[in-house]
Amino acid sequence: MPTQASGETPAAPPIAWRRKDLLGLEELTREEILTVLDQASGFKEISTRSIKKAPTLRGKVVLTLFYEPSTRTRASFSLAAQRLSADVQELDLDASSAKKGETLVDTARNLRAMGVDVFVIRHQQAGAPALLARSVDSSVINAGDGTHEHPTQGLLDLFTMREKLGNLKGRKVALVGDITHSRVARSNIWGLLKLGAEVGVVGPKTLIPGALKELGVRIHYHLDEVLGHYDVFNILRIQLERQGAGLFPGMREYNLHYGIDERRLARMKPDVLIMHPGPINRGVEISHGVADGRNSVILEQVSNGVAVRMAVLALVQSAREGK
Amino acid sequence: MQAILIKGGRVIDPANGLDATADVLLADGKVKAVGALRESDVKPWMGKAAGVEVLNAKGLWVMPGLVDLRAHLGEPGNESAETIAGGALAAIHGGITTLACMPDTDPPIDTEAQVQFVLARSRLADMAEVLPVAALTKRREGRELAELGQLVAAGAVAFSDEMRATDSPSTLLKGMAYASMFDRPVIEFAQDPNLAGGAMNAGYEATLAGLPGIPALAEELAVARACMFARETGCHYHAAKLTTRNAIRAVKRARKLRVKVSAATCPHYFALTDAEVRRRYDTAYKVFPPLRTKDDVAWIRRGLREGIIDCISSDHTPVPPELKELEFGRAPFGIVGLQTLLPVTLTELVHGGELPLAQAVAAMTVNPARLLRVAGRKGSLTVGHDADVALVDPQETWTLEEAGLVSRCRNTPFIGMKFKGRVKFTIARGRLFDVSVPQAAGA
Repeated sequence: MPTQASGETPAAPPIAWRRKDLLGLEELTREEILTVLDQASGFKEISTRSIKKAPTLRGKVVLTLFYEPSTRTRASFSLAAQRLSADVQELDLDASSAKKGETLVDTARNLRAMGVDVFVIRHQQAGAPALLARSVDSSVINAGDGTHEHPTQGLLDLFTMREKLGNLKGRKVALVGDITHSRVARSNIWGLLKLGAEVGVVGPKTLIPGALKELGVRIHYHLDEVLGHYDVFNILRIQLERQGAGLFPGMREYNLHYGIDERRLARMKPDVLIMHPGPINRGVEISHGVADGRNSVILEQVSNGVAVRMAVLALVQSAREGK
Repeated sequence: MQAILIKGGRVIDPANGLDATADVLLADGKVKAVGALRESDVKPWMGKAAGVEVLNAKGLWVMPGLVDLRAHLGEPGNESAETIAGGALAAIHGGITTLACMPDTDPPIDTEAQVQFVLARSRLADMAEVLPVAALTKRREGRELAELGQLVAAGAVAFSDEMRATDSPSTLLKGMAYASMFDRPVIEFAQDPNLAGGAMNAGYEATLAGLPGIPALAEELAVARACMFARETGCHYHAAKLTTRNAIRAVKRARKLRVKVSAATCPHYFALTDAEVRRRYDTAYKVFPPLRTKDDVAWIRRGLREGIIDCISSDHTPVPPELKELEFGRAPFGIVGLQTLLPVTLTELVHGGELPLAQAVAAMTVNPARLLRVAGRKGSLTVGHDADVALVDPQETWTLEEAGLVSRCRNTPFIGMKFKGRVKFTIARGRLFDVSVPQAAGA
């Protein structure tokens, strides 16, 4: 935990955080989620100082192990770790060569043997962070695994919403786009449900898993019918590969049916929040004007990401040390 | 060879409608007598050099040695995972005395020489008898038919291309028509390959796990189609692994129309669900077809009770640890099952009263023996049949430990689970194996 040395820093977590790993939001309780968010508020303040550093992870080694390309998430984790004074090592592995060579478990054990304290892993396979967490005694933070979860993105989205809307209980949040292949959607759904929000998903039937109904998520296939209902629209990136797989006809039709533009924005609540986890396809799922418009909090999400990741890094490390 | 007198056990022999306390006399590798035997019945063997070994079976269940329809033995081509001798030994530890091995070897079992190779290896091992299932098509490529007539002549008991033939409906149709001339079943994999790409059962659990789903529809489609082909060709179609509600219904409908269809399932399909897969992404639970929902499990159990599913097989599929230690989506499918076939069935179905004992035993003895056309010597305790017997302590509770598995690979989710009912002795063609010994640590 940050100490007095850096001036006014967040206090120790109010409730016990016992997880050495953060693998998903599904397994977190409401209290644990709130612990991270509260902790992040404190760390956000550090980012506004001229010297953006706390000693929390001094002498610790954080390794970002990315089996999938990423700019934003990896940079965000690296900055977060550096602000906590950790030594940061970045390792990008090409999944195709990893397939022929060493297994994930072997790679991780070797890196552990070099003294890595926290693994931040992104992998195209769902469950890879869970496998890693079983294989090493270091902390493991899931930075996105296949189409499973992306918990820190979910947390930073919650953080941003809470900052703007206050308590999320009873608030209405819609996720728009390819829900089936979205780890961001799953983490958002778990987090929002646990905080008492109403969650809806909007998109083509071929990209929405019907099983979400069993979680209490509302499913909509026609965006125009629900524009006025929600307080937040979190817009997901649509990927061209899905067109090739026959899941939807193409970008033109997608944009006409699900693209958020000024015309649709005008039919939403006046203070609606427009969010997007990035990277944005401007002109496809979101128009240029809406992305940069006054309802958009997209860049705030990015800033908050650093604070949320600082909180997560600090918490898992404290749990591992039994503090 | 020594004669064996099994005294005072509860003899369960569904083929002969027998479930009673009785003695069983085995000699010269055959069943000699079953009933309340007197000294005079045993006398002819007393004078011989080897004498008579008396097994006190009081409190034990005495059943025909089990017949397993389905094991992948890795030989030739994948001997580091399993061999014919290794599989035959693991089988003995599971009370199995006859097992059919699948042709998805490298090279596949698609020629007389390959069939003879399996039979020779089996004789050499001299444990459970291994019967080869041959490929339906040359090189198991799903194009040209293999020499089915010659394969039968060499000793093939059934045909299967595993996943391959399903790719081509016309090949499957011709193959079934041709195979029907030789009175051998075609064992079809029962998953439409175009729909079945995925890592676990499609639905709620897969959605939350973020893993690509294998829909139940892939099974229903393949099973329904193969039932139609059986109707058209008169071929005996065996649905290898029924795991879903609607595929079971498809078989039920075909049966009503008197189509020659038999069906099997495996213990993991009625003991486990896809909810267990999601908890830990544990690749020990990764199997094909995938573990299904609670609802499907209920249907499988009902299908067994109603006799729509008439066989239970192990689908023994060894996968080396280095491959199961991969990410869930990348790890190969498969569970080793020879040693757990009977214990899981007894624990899950018989002790709970869901399936009558005689029916459960029939599903692992005489029914598969009939399917493999070896019921004239296997699968029952009929006098003159092979001396294949499993002796089971029905009350013993025990935990499966990894060290207790004799297979080369230990990829099973049942490690650490508790069972009621344990194989104590297996007799294969008159050879007695005390199988409680190497697993004693697990008791």
